[in-house]
Amino acid sequence: MASGAAPILAVENLVTAFRSGGGEHAAVRDVSFTVQRNETVAIVGESGCGKSVTALSIMGLVPAANGRIVAGHIRFAGRDLVGLGEDEMRKIRGDRISMIFQEPMTSLNPVLTVGFQIAETLRYHRGMDRAAAGRAALDLLEQVKIPAARQRFGDYPHQFSGGMRQRVMIAIALACRPELLLADEPTTALDVTIQAQVLSLLAELKSAYGMAMIFITHNLGVVASIADRVAVMYAGEIVEVAPLDTLFAHPTHPYTELLLRSIPRVDQDARHLSTIPGQVPSISAMPRGCRFAPRCPLRVAICAERDPLLAPVAGSPAHQARCWVRAPQAELAHA
Amino acid sequence: MLGYVVKRLLLAVPTLFAVLTIVFVLARVLPGDPAQTILGDQATQEALENMRHRLGVDKPIAAQYAEFLVDAVRGKWGTSLVTGKPVVDEVRNVLPYTIELTVTAIIVGALIGVPLGTWSAIYRNRWIDYLARMGSLLGLSFPAFVSAILLLLAFAIELRWFPVISAGGLDDPVERLRNLALPAINLGIIMAAYVTRVTRSSMLEVLGEDYIRTARAKGVPRRAIVWRHALRNALIPVVTVVGLYLGILIGNSVLTEIVFNRPGLGKLMVSALNQRDYTVLQGMMVVYAFVIVIVNLLTDLTYGFIDPRVKRQ
Amino acid sequence: MSAITLGRGEGHLLAQVVRAFSANATSWIGLALFLAIVALALLAPVISPYDPLDQDVLTRLAPPSADHWLGTDSYGRDILSRLLWGARLSLVISTVSILAAMLIGGVIGIVSGYVGGRFDLVVMQAMDVLLSFPSLIMGLMVVAMLGASMVNLMIAIALTAIAPFARIARAPTIVVKERDYIEACRALGFSDLRIMAVHILPNIIAEIIVMGSLWLATAIRIEASLSFIGLGVRPPTATWGGMIREGFENILDSAWLSVFPSLAILLVVFSLNMIGDGLRDAIDPKLRSGE
Repeated sequence: MASGAAPILAVENLVTAFRSGGGEHAAVRDVSFTVQRNETVAIVGESGCGKSVTALSIMGLVPAANGRIVAGHIRFAGRDLVGLGEDEMRKIRGDRISMIFQEPMTSLNPVLTVGFQIAETLRYHRGMDRAAAGRAALDLLEQVKIPAARQRFGDYPHQFSGGMRQRVMIAIALACRPELLLADEPTTALDVTIQAQVLSLLAELKSAYGMAMIFITHNLGVVASIADRVAVMYAGEIVEVAPLDTLFAHPTHPYTELLLRSIPRVDQDARHLSTIPGQVPSISAMPRGCRFAPRCPLRVAICAERDPLLAPVAGSPAHQARCWVRAPQAELAHA
Repeated sequence: MLGYVVKRLLLAVPTLFAVLTIVFVLARVLPGDPAQTILGDQATQEALENMRHRLGVDKPIAAQYAEFLVDAVRGKWGTSLVTGKPVVDEVRNVLPYTIELTVTAIIVGALIGVPLGTWSAIYRNRWIDYLARMGSLLGLSFPAFVSAILLLLAFAIELRWFPVISAGGLDDPVERLRNLALPAINLGIIMAAYVTRVTRSSMLEVLGEDYIRTARAKGVPRRAIVWRHALRNALIPVVTVVGLYLGILIGNSVLTEIVFNRPGLGKLMVSALNQRDYTVLQGMMVVYAFVIVIVNLLTDLTYGFIDPRVKRQ
Repeated sequence: MSAITLGRGEGHLLAQVVRAFSANATSWIGLALFLAIVALALLAPVISPYDPLDQDVLTRLAPPSADHWLGTDSYGRDILSRLLWGARLSLVISTVSILAAMLIGGVIGIVSGYVGGRFDLVVMQAMDVLLSFPSLIMGLMVVAMLGASMVNLMIAIALTAIAPFARIARAPTIVVKERDYIEACRALGFSDLRIMAVHILPNIIAEIIVMGSLWLATAIRIEASLSFIGLGVRPPTATWGGMIREGFENILDSAWLSVFPSLAILLVVFSLNMIGDGLRDAIDPKLRSGE
């Protein structure tokens, strides 16, 4: 991580909201983080915490029917993507920023061959003709280690297994050698053995291509094997950001701490596995003050009154947490 | 694909027998004594016996059924009581006109319905969507002979753009097209109404699918997303409805042929009806049984063509 | 395919239908139109200006005028009066035949689903074959063989509509029959018939109303079409299809003869389609079919 150099992506105070039942509710609230070139940042959180919406906001794919980016900036290579026209955004998507989705079974078009679906990206962004794009697509199929790639080029998605389909998705995403890859729970839907294969393929291609990556997951075990830095999200906010080792060694936000304690470990008795009491608040009924307060074992009076800000922990700007108790907010004065 | 075709063909056989059985029940069992129906109340006992023998209805019902099935499959569909010509020849003479009409109607219906339904879905709840929805609801409220008469009045009688009587069998391609135009448009717009509705709802569903999001994430232009990525998926249920509509189309073609006085299966059937030509009528019912089975078969085969998942199953 | 909400009380479902109605402008307009037509048909004996069968050679083929708002036909009969009386006939034939189809189809579907097994398989196969017949062709065949009369017309139309109602009734029957409380009902000694009536009917009532209105529209179309072909109720009785048939002979010089009944048919069918379509959207946006 080359600190000091301009980050490839800087998300600043992002707010993305959805209309439902007459009101507009923020699914992502005041989210800021950066991703350096070649860096892998993991965004961790339970389902519905806003991690996928964050990724869709970066892609400009928030469903226009009921959602929109309300405020904030998404600076990619110095250029703000918020407010960019659909046409400008389209030129960036699939070329400089790509995304892999969670469901390999439904994310590929069932009536188009996988070869076509990979080649298509190259034809739109690189202006290649059918033959050249086909050759490049075949090369990509081999890179993602599809056995007998040449024979399978003309096959349809339903003829592939889940793991193989996710490899095809990776080939599509990497076709134009993007600078940033967003991977939204890419292994969640797969069998455990296949998960490991896909993860190592992603890690391998990431370093080969020199990409930055945002890896979204709810699985802390996966985070440990792939991330450089971790952002923990809860109820639409980032509650803690830290380098991987720091986070695992010194989890600071009570939510992170509880999350880490809830990972099953081989060397521990499963009976000691803890669960977090209570439930994630719904998007339309957020508590006042700190959003984790109702479930927090360290709760003090102020927690239910005012929402804390993301503040450096122990004076280290690389490690930040959003907590009145653990990350004293006085530090903000000179942050 | 070949295996799929063979399988579908084999499956059509039991359907054909079932449909023929219904026709047999309708034609031989329900009406009581067909000889009486043909000859009327005044007929002598002897004349009735003769007619029963001629029609083969003096045999036991099981024998009649077996004979009926064998004859139906062998194309022995009876001889006209009026003209003395075999029904199969009469059918062969007019079949090309009906096929020409219905195929053109399907093309017209698809050419109007698919783009209209797609636009309606893309511009959901905008004025073009409301217009398309109301228009298609109105379109499928038309009995085919009502729309045919209104078209005839407007474009043939008032504006004189098309002939009032759509004669078939013209060698001049322009004249032939002019004769075909109004009947085909009549059937086509009713079909377009069905196609528009199904295309719209199917398109709305497909546009919300994950693979459409993938295509957007790849940077595929909007136009290509709609017409290449979404449409082929959206057309799969449309084929079902076109298949269902083909049944309605067969019925509507009868009415259209009458209004435009155009030769065809429907006209043949109705003139047999008016002349009380019992054997032709019964033969036509067998013909329609075949038409129904063939239409269902064609629908199944079209699925295999559009959806790659079907033909490999 | 159809999302049927099970286990709700009847009141709840009817409330659902009422709510669906009030939310949908299309169904309201359709309902208003249809009720207006029904009212006119009911009032035909009172409001029609002439006897629909009264011939008047002196005013043959008169165009619309103050005396005859919609003109007269080739026998000098008043078109408006014939339209009003024709509406009665059209509505009676289609309503009776669809109610019969509902009843017969419903019983077939419920019994078939309830009995299950091979019986169910055979019955449903038969329904499928019946369904593959286009309604007009089926109607044409039946009336052609049985002869044209009002009763035969009703039989023909009912026959084409039985299969779809059997399908609707069967689907929830199969689901409900597996429920624990059905076993409980049996244990309590309720008869099968009572169980089916009480527990299955409420589940399909909304769908039956939608299907009923759409099939009523189809029935009116078939009746008119068969009358137009010459297989309807015998002249001189006024039927819309028959009026168009007679008017069609004079289409070159007296277009109004066929235009007015044409518009009448279109209006009724359109109003019924608006009711059914609006309701269907409101009750279940996913529920749709060709016809």
